[in-house]
Amino acid sequence: MYEFDWSSIPGALPFLWEGMKVSLEITLTAVVFGIVWGTALAMMRLSSVKPLAFFAASYVNLFRAIPLVMVLLWFFLIVPQLLKSFLSLDPNTDVRLTSAMVGFALFESAYYSEIIRAGIQSVPKGQVAAASALGMSYAQAMRLVVLPQAFRNMVPLLLTQAIVLFQDTSLVYVSALADFFGAAYKVGDRDGRLVELLLFAGAVYFAICFAASQLVRRYQKKLNAHVAH
Amino acid sequence: MISIENVSKHYGSFQVLTDCTAQVKKGEVIVVCGPSGSGKSTLIKCVNGLEPFQAGSITVNGVSVGDPKTNLSKLRSHVGMVFQHFELFPHMSITDNLAIAQVKVLGRSREQAMDKGLKLLDRVGLKAHAGKFPGQLSGGQQQRVAIARALAMDPICMLFDEPTSALDPEMINEVLDVMVELAREGMTMMCVTHEMGFARKVANRVIFMDQGRIVEDDSKDAFFGSPRSERARQFLARILSH
Ligand SMILES: Nc1ncnc2c1ncn2[C@@H]1O[C@H](COP(=O)(O)OP(=O)(O)O)[C@@H](O)[C@H]1O
Ligand SMILES: [Mg+2]
Repeated sequence: MYEFDWSSIPGALPFLWEGMKVSLEITLTAVVFGIVWGTALAMMRLSSVKPLAFFAASYVNLFRAIPLVMVLLWFFLIVPQLLKSFLSLDPNTDVRLTSAMVGFALFESAYYSEIIRAGIQSVPKGQVAAASALGMSYAQAMRLVVLPQAFRNMVPLLLTQAIVLFQDTSLVYVSALADFFGAAYKVGDRDGRLVELLLFAGAVYFAICFAASQLVRRYQKKLNAHVAH
Repeated sequence: MISIENVSKHYGSFQVLTDCTAQVKKGEVIVVCGPSGSGKSTLIKCVNGLEPFQAGSITVNGVSVGDPKTNLSKLRSHVGMVFQHFELFPHMSITDNLAIAQVKVLGRSREQAMDKGLKLLDRVGLKAHAGKFPGQLSGGQQQRVAIARALAMDPICMLFDEPTSALDPEMINEVLDVMVELAREGMTMMCVTHEMGFARKVANRVIFMDQGRIVEDDSKDAFFGSPRSERARQFLARILSH
């Protein structure tokens, strides 16, 4: 019978917290960048300018056809070299965190843009007509009328995608970057307590994601009540 | 004020408007009617350039709508339009619905815009609802707000596209009353509507459309007295029988 020994966890908490901060940092950058770039992609894809629509469609289809872990690997292998030579950084500077953020952000944008595109399309056409009839430009109609409504409807989906993204940050282990999962793995490996540490890490991921999902569900209920007048 | 000359429009091979010609003089109220699908909405949307057209010309207050050099946003900012489904902005309060275009399009200050919005809201009898959201109002109330929103831009003319046809019967009159008052004050209006009571009360002329053509363009007395075309006669008989 395996004897659990949790004693290495309390002492490792500060180190684990550092890892958690890396995970959260990557999640946050990717969410913010993903929503901004995803919105731009969605608007390009819906625009009547053919080259823009083609570019956005290709971007989205490309990133959605490649496993995330491959994208991350490329970014770890290639981008750091490029960054270092372009910015003429010291070859020993650690750009793994930056390249992880860039990789996630570019990848997630493809998914966000699809959510946002559906959100924009869910706003009735008459709203744009009404905004235009009041003299608003297309950009004003988008910014003041369409996007606020689209985002209000999309918040649950965007947050759910953020939760998935948070879980996916554990994939940065391929670069030996110490995110929360990587930190837990290192501690477990060092103390020969891998099982305990991985169970602990799993419990933390579960607690955070479960709590976040509950919040999303509460918000969605409120939204539905509001929309149903 | 509005001059429509030989306008034609097609979607692919489908001809929506054929050679439509009509004039609306300053202060006139024109009612446009005709069977569903006859091109009424399309015609009225061509007037403020919401729909492009392939042939003919439309000028509003001397400005050519079809001319690519025309600043359409500027033109639309002083041509009011009211839609069948109100199209209030559901994520904004009633006051913001009234103020937003005044501020963002006309460049008025927020106080000025609020002030004007509240005055117009009072005029359509809805001052007490200023802080609410569109979803909290009945259809008739929403449509009155939509009219106030258009009036807040100080329009030189107003376009209505079946403003009462999405309303429950008991709410139709509250909207028509506002439109009648507006007409009596001398607003130039082009109204797509099947409310013949409204037409009798305030219309100068009635335009009857069928299959994308303007079939009749008569004074209201002539139209209601003895419509010249068989289609218009049938249409009137059907409309007036219920
Ligand atoms: N975007 C479009 N593409 C193709 N056909 C259209 C489009 N919009 C309207 N139509 C057609 O044009 C005709 C006139 O439409 P509309 O102006 O809405 O008529 P009305 O307002 O008189 O009911 C209809 O037959 C309709 O199906
Ligand atoms: Mg119509």
